[in-house]
Amino acid sequence: MTTRRDLFKITGGAAVGALLTPAPWRMITDGALWSENWPGIPRPARGEIRAKFTNCTLCPAGCAMKARCVGDQPISLAGVAGHPLSHGALCPFGIAGHHLPYHPERLLSGAVEDAAAAIKKGIGEGGRIAVFDTRPGRTASWTYRRAMASLPGGLYLRPQAALNGNAVDLSAARTVLSFGVPLLDGWGTPGNVIQARGNFRLIQVEAIESRTAAMADLWLPTNAGEERAMASIILNGGMDHIARELENGPVLVLGPEDWPEIVELNRKYGALGRTIVSRRDAPVPDTWKDAAPEMEWADAAEGSIRVLLIDETAPGAYVPWHSLETKLSRDAVVVAFTATRDGYARHAQFSIPTAVFPEALDDIPAAVDSPAGVFRLSTSLVPPAAGTIDPAMFIARLAGIDAASALRDRAGAICRSARGNVFHYADSKSTPMKEMKADAFWKSLNEGACWIDDLDPKAPAPKLVARAATRASNVSLVETCGAGLVSPLFSKLHEESHVRLARHEIALNPAGGFHDGERVALQTDCGRIAMTVLLDPSIPPGSIQAATGADVLDLCGGVTGAKVVRI
Amino acid sequence: MNARYGMTIDIDRCNGCGACMVACAVENNIPPAHAGANDRKGLTWIRVYKVDNGKEYPERRSAFVPVLCQQCGNETPCAHVCPQQAVDVDPKTGVVGQMPERCLGCRYCMAACPYHARYFNWWDPAWPKGMEKTLNPSVAPRMRGVVEKCNFCHGRWHEARQRAAAGGLAASEPVDYVPACVEACPAGAIRFGNLNDATTEVARKSKEPDSFRLLEKLGTDPKIYYHSKRDWVKTIAEAPRPGAGKENVRG
Amino acid sequence: MDKEFITRGVKRCSGGKFLLWLTPWVLLLAFGLFSAALVLIKGLNQTNMDNRFAFGLWIFLDLTVIALGAGAFFTGFLLYILKIDDLKAVINSAVVIGLVCYSGAVCVLAVDVGQPLRAWFTFWYPNVHSMLTEVTFCISCYLTVLAIEYLPIVLKNRRLREVPSMLVFEHELHKLIYVLAGVGTFLSFFHQGSLGGLYGVLRGRPFAFREGLALWPSTFFLFIISAAAVGPSFILLTTWLVEKISRKKLVKPEVPGLLARISGLMLAVYVLAKTVDTLVWLNRTSPERGFQGWQYYSWRPFGTWILFAEIVVFGLVPALILLSPKLRANAGWRLSAAAMACCGVALNRFVMTVQTLALPTLSFDPFMSYYPSWQEVGTFLAVVAYGVLVYSFSFRYFQLFPQERDLRVQTPPQREERELITAGRY
Repeated sequence: MTTRRDLFKITGGAAVGALLTPAPWRMITDGALWSENWPGIPRPARGEIRAKFTNCTLCPAGCAMKARCVGDQPISLAGVAGHPLSHGALCPFGIAGHHLPYHPERLLSGAVEDAAAAIKKGIGEGGRIAVFDTRPGRTASWTYRRAMASLPGGLYLRPQAALNGNAVDLSAARTVLSFGVPLLDGWGTPGNVIQARGNFRLIQVEAIESRTAAMADLWLPTNAGEERAMASIILNGGMDHIARELENGPVLVLGPEDWPEIVELNRKYGALGRTIVSRRDAPVPDTWKDAAPEMEWADAAEGSIRVLLIDETAPGAYVPWHSLETKLSRDAVVVAFTATRDGYARHAQFSIPTAVFPEALDDIPAAVDSPAGVFRLSTSLVPPAAGTIDPAMFIARLAGIDAASALRDRAGAICRSARGNVFHYADSKSTPMKEMKADAFWKSLNEGACWIDDLDPKAPAPKLVARAATRASNVSLVETCGAGLVSPLFSKLHEESHVRLARHEIALNPAGGFHDGERVALQTDCGRIAMTVLLDPSIPPGSIQAATGADVLDLCGGVTGAKVVRI
Repeated sequence: MNARYGMTIDIDRCNGCGACMVACAVENNIPPAHAGANDRKGLTWIRVYKVDNGKEYPERRSAFVPVLCQQCGNETPCAHVCPQQAVDVDPKTGVVGQMPERCLGCRYCMAACPYHARYFNWWDPAWPKGMEKTLNPSVAPRMRGVVEKCNFCHGRWHEARQRAAAGGLAASEPVDYVPACVEACPAGAIRFGNLNDATTEVARKSKEPDSFRLLEKLGTDPKIYYHSKRDWVKTIAEAPRPGAGKENVRG
Repeated sequence: MDKEFITRGVKRCSGGKFLLWLTPWVLLLAFGLFSAALVLIKGLNQTNMDNRFAFGLWIFLDLTVIALGAGAFFTGFLLYILKIDDLKAVINSAVVIGLVCYSGAVCVLAVDVGQPLRAWFTFWYPNVHSMLTEVTFCISCYLTVLAIEYLPIVLKNRRLREVPSMLVFEHELHKLIYVLAGVGTFLSFFHQGSLGGLYGVLRGRPFAFREGLALWPSTFFLFIISAAAVGPSFILLTTWLVEKISRKKLVKPEVPGLLARISGLMLAVYVLAKTVDTLVWLNRTSPERGFQGWQYYSWRPFGTWILFAEIVVFGLVPALILLSPKLRANAGWRLSAAAMACCGVALNRFVMTVQTLALPTLSFDPFMSYYPSWQEVGTFLAVVAYGVLVYSFSFRYFQLFPQERDLRVQTPPQREERELITAGRY
């Protein structure tokens, strides 16, 4: 008979025996796994790793990108080494560009039918229609021009063309005199600027010790708002040490806008034709040649536009609303095609949501620092979000023209021109255009390639047109990818380190008496915006550094000065 | 032969754009800042600081310095102090690895690190809806309450190892790979390689007179070599300048 | 109503009055537990600690209470090993204070770590190089020792003694008391030291880093000596406080004098050692690592005044007071000196935890400041409330002060007491 003692003996022995096996020790160690990740922590999806190629649309540089994808989902972006334009470089905005489709602030709904009805009504009542395109030169831009040509009195409006539409050949420069232009911090194509950097001596004239000023060969601090005055002094022969520098040509003079002084300096020091060159655009099909001409928005008659359609999908130049608004008639209808609530959507009656990078198939025109014309596609790496509209198709349908294959047609025209070379991203090889057929060219473009034009040997000397300054003088604006969205990971650069200025943050000198993190308002005659102060001793007392954003540009465009007030 | 992976960072080329910081966050599944996070509670495995020559405007000159885990080689401070060996120094690569699954969250290693290269998850990670699709499968996301830091993109090293092994490379041979920040830097300011291989760019550049390491006198033997031709920049390697008012306030 | 549980021969207030005394502390405990729960549920973002101030109020106060609770081991050592029998008068109280301090500190540590469920990892994957592993092991063991030392106090309760098995158990346990005291001293020596060692080994923080003996930096020994110095002072203070609150005489007049003398002696030794250590650190250790000593004190608000305050004002001055027989005999001087000694040790722990983290290490670091959030303060107040509650309970039902009965003004025993004499002297 089994006694209690037997039971104790067996249990005790089993326990001691179990301790001598790996089982309980393993279970304890494995118990650690239970505390590793609790439910609610996302797990990355698994799948086949693939590479896809595209080009970035977040700024006119259009840098080449290689996307690392899990299945079809891009999970990271990197540059394409050896690319003749971008040289494998990407800026922080592009590196996290694949996050934009999931941005929580993205515009995803709009009254599309109501907008269409209002547009039809406006046109029906004989009003003039215009399209304002923030990034002209794209194939979609041509679609708008064709559409406007089909509609009575239709206008195609564009922002002012910097350098009158000419290009900069940075590799030819030996001395660059820059008046506050962020040459080393987001100007042109970053990879191209870095590649050319070793060839030229940079003199930066700027009130603030910006990133470019900190890295320039010579920084000339001015007082806030006196950059233009200094340009005038240099033009008139003052400052011999600068004049001596400028004798080391070829010279390039850059300014934030085409001030007369800048135009004159470029002419005087022989930049035209050497560092500033004319550039021909990528060819287009002959049937498109009767499209409406490009018109600078300022040239439109005041109060003449009844229906204004703004395509803001490709971040580019932002024209302050109070300027643009003067062109509208009293009962105007404004429709903004945009992915963000923060741009023209603030002023439009109707905001129609559009795709963001990398959802849509689009092309990127040449950047300011590309002497040759280019054609490259941004492919659709992920399907566009539900509810978004393609503005080119919308406007084409409105005008009754067929633009469904516009990109392919343009590729065909380029192929027929037999000019230039095609650089393939996958193997870094170049093929002359004349050796490729149209179908193969289209396929390459979609798989990752870039067409680069030959330089035109018969190019006319470039002409520069001088313009007056339009921005508030004591506010230095830092580019932040136009009015577009930035990845939520940019908190690394903003809240988590302050290495870049965030939206609605202004940098002030500590001597101004404000505290770090204080809530203030940036105020001009156009209104005020609430801002947070970031103290920075690199900013001279009296100057303000602010990040661009449509609302800041509205505030600071066309006024003489801004001030900071406590709220 | 064992590898000693290290970096040279050319301060004269860094313009503080932050591409390295963003690329690091993309590669390593670092979540965006939680509401209420500031620059003392963030997760920035590599962080670009703005340093200056201590003078007032307009004599003030600035530069940008990316700081990440220095992968200390001698008596690694954090490895010595972790109570449960959640930090391990790999003799084959010299990389100081952090095991978030074993971390208790006591933060002793954070107190020990003079380079402030370690970051604590004060919150659970949260990504905007849909953005979790963009997470990198080679790196495990961490939950709150554990410390994390740069590990020279261990996931990439591991993939390179697997590819090399598939291609027949012996397990003892060091592999060639690039961490995300090195790949991302548009200016090419950050270079990476095996310091034990005298032919690599990092090995050569680390021996140049213009190269220096941070806080060398502490004897931590860091593997990140900074490089600058400017003399005032070289002074950042030393101990803090005493006296109030000149502290770096940005970056 | 609970008269049967109260030790014979001493007087305690009525049950109702006791509940009234307990009420605010229970409320404080509830608030504190709520704060701690918030931190456990929502995470450490509820505190104001951050990546630069990885340690904050909790670590500073943990180190301070562990130093103050050192009275438990040191009094035990002096009583049971060195046979200074007069200390029998306070040993029980010291043990309760020690238990409360250590268990409270351990509870706060459980809230302070990011993953409390992984606390057992230190035992499973210990790192022999780490001072914190040493601290964890020693404090866990010592807490067990303290709990075992607390048991006899509990078991001597008038009612519990009536249970024969408890009586026997207590008797057997008492035989072990010398072993327990020895083990407790040994463990305490190591963890008090390792708590100092935590900072002394930080080669990345030249402000805290010290040279030393073999693997142990000088802070290891300094922390032990300072804990031994402040233990008796704290017992002195708490005894006086309890006497004041309960309005009873609990110890014979020579006991505070003895405690003061011990404290003064240890404090003097400590001040001497600390001075030597500071001079070596400022002139050799720190400059060798690239940090000049004077630059630490150029970051406001931590000027040289803090060093002066720590070593002279709250170190040398109370040591001299406690060593002087004339001043020691005066209660006012004695208590002020004891309080100053406790402040000195708290200041030392503050300097080692908070000032170390506030000072920059990289040349482009700013000076950092930190203040605790209400959740942090609340959690610590829970420990204070818990301590008061356990002590109040122990004071009421257990005999913490053996001399109390003899000191009580003799009054004839009440009717009920006469009738309830049962087995045992108590």
